[in-house]
Amino acid sequence: MQGPLIDTLARQGITRRTFLKYCATLASMMALPPTAGRAMAEAMAAARRPSVIWLPFQECTGCTESITRSHSPTIEGMIFDMISLDYQETLMAAAGHQAEAARANAMKENAGKYLLIVDGSIPLKMDGAYSCIGGRSNVDILKEAAAGCAAIVAMGSCASYGGIPKANPNPTGAVSVSDIVKDKPIVNIPGCPPIPVVMTGVLAHYLTFGSLPALDDKGRPKSFYGDTIHDRCYRRPFYDQGKFARTFDDEGARQGWCLFELGCKGPVTHNACATVKWNGGTSWPVESGHGCLGCSEPDFWDGGGFYKALSAPADPLKFAAAAAVVGAGAGVAVSFANRAKKSAARASHETTTLADLEK
Amino acid sequence: MSLDAIPIHVVNAPSGEPGLTGNAPPLLRELLEQVRRLLDTGEPSAIDLSALPLTPADLDWLHDKLGSGEIAVALQANGESTLNETGCPGVWWITHRNEQGAVTSQFIEVTFVPELVKAHPRDVAIGQEQLEFMISDL
Repeated sequence: MQGPLIDTLARQGITRRTFLKYCATLASMMALPPTAGRAMAEAMAAARRPSVIWLPFQECTGCTESITRSHSPTIEGMIFDMISLDYQETLMAAAGHQAEAARANAMKENAGKYLLIVDGSIPLKMDGAYSCIGGRSNVDILKEAAAGCAAIVAMGSCASYGGIPKANPNPTGAVSVSDIVKDKPIVNIPGCPPIPVVMTGVLAHYLTFGSLPALDDKGRPKSFYGDTIHDRCYRRPFYDQGKFARTFDDEGARQGWCLFELGCKGPVTHNACATVKWNGGTSWPVESGHGCLGCSEPDFWDGGGFYKALSAPADPLKFAAAAAVVGAGAGVAVSFANRAKKSAARASHETTTLADLEK
Repeated sequence: MSLDAIPIHVVNAPSGEPGLTGNAPPLLRELLEQVRRLLDTGEPSAIDLSALPLTPADLDWLHDKLGSGEIAVALQANGESTLNETGCPGVWWITHRNEQGAVTSQFIEVTFVPELVKAHPRDVAIGQEQLEFMISDL
């Protein structure tokens, strides 16, 4: 099992060019220079596979589904060739005591060196009794596994921020991995579910450079979460031109204009959907005509209505005035249009009340 | 109140076909710079098209402008990749597709020959072994 990755791949009929092509795409998604793909391929081809323990806690298995059921099993499946996955309840053949023994064994043999992947939040109420595996609470298992790991990857919004289990009123007292573990490097890969290739990218970075990628203030890899959805959205030019869809079936919607007014959370959501897309690059929410829900941001579930515009002014009459200014600015230079829009938004902005959210 | 009801005098109306954002033309200047660099220093470079806010219409426009050259390489590796020289020698339009035919990444490379076309020495060594084996069998 332990040998250079390229030999493992070759045995499965994956050629060097296939691997190079994969690395080129991966480097592109990681915002590395286009020429980095080759260096990455060289380093990864020679890399030894690290031991990985994957702990599922208070989760829906959507994150695992996202990774394992991605479009092209052979390519995304490389993630499982890059690593030695020693414990993953959903995927492993062993069950019961044997599965737990495999985990204990991997932790002992690779002490201080294994990567720990966690999906799901950790419930703390009632001494963690809300979610147990083999009679032990999640928080207990996490603390034990974290003690001997090299680094932790928090997969999905639940492990990163608490996610939907933490949504008000948070009945189980759910918290994120970083709320519990303070002394290990933690990479957050939020998203509900997260984009599969982000996972692969983090592992590829670990194998290529021997370190975790650069992280932002929320512990997310900058290469995937550095820009907002809005910044990279192909509909962004329509926002700049003041062209908005106002209902899901109006002329603007048919023309593919900006979904900002239909509640798109793209401007405040950091993720790579706009560039990486979903289902093997087929499409992504905005391309299919629906605004971004903001699922990779903390507490997105409690952020107000999914269909409320981020800056929806309370007064509809003032809103029409703002639209007129935006319309007038449409043809002028983009920066001018933006300035006009900003001042219009400022002029018409009022404090949003609970009643407004219910409308 | 709809916008039609307001007398708007549009200055510098956005020109061109629908779907064009105006983000494609500046890429031609960047390519020019990269071609200069290739000629002066031999250093290859690339533009990652999937990382830029380009609509399908923008990509078509760019593709149209650059045209197609004499060489078209097709690579069968987990889906087809095409590495086609454009009308400007040294400028290659590279599209990687997965097995379902969806585009996974797209680059414009400015280089004499794209890296992916060249054979890796270790693979050549395997080929050499195969040839030696064939000859020993004659």
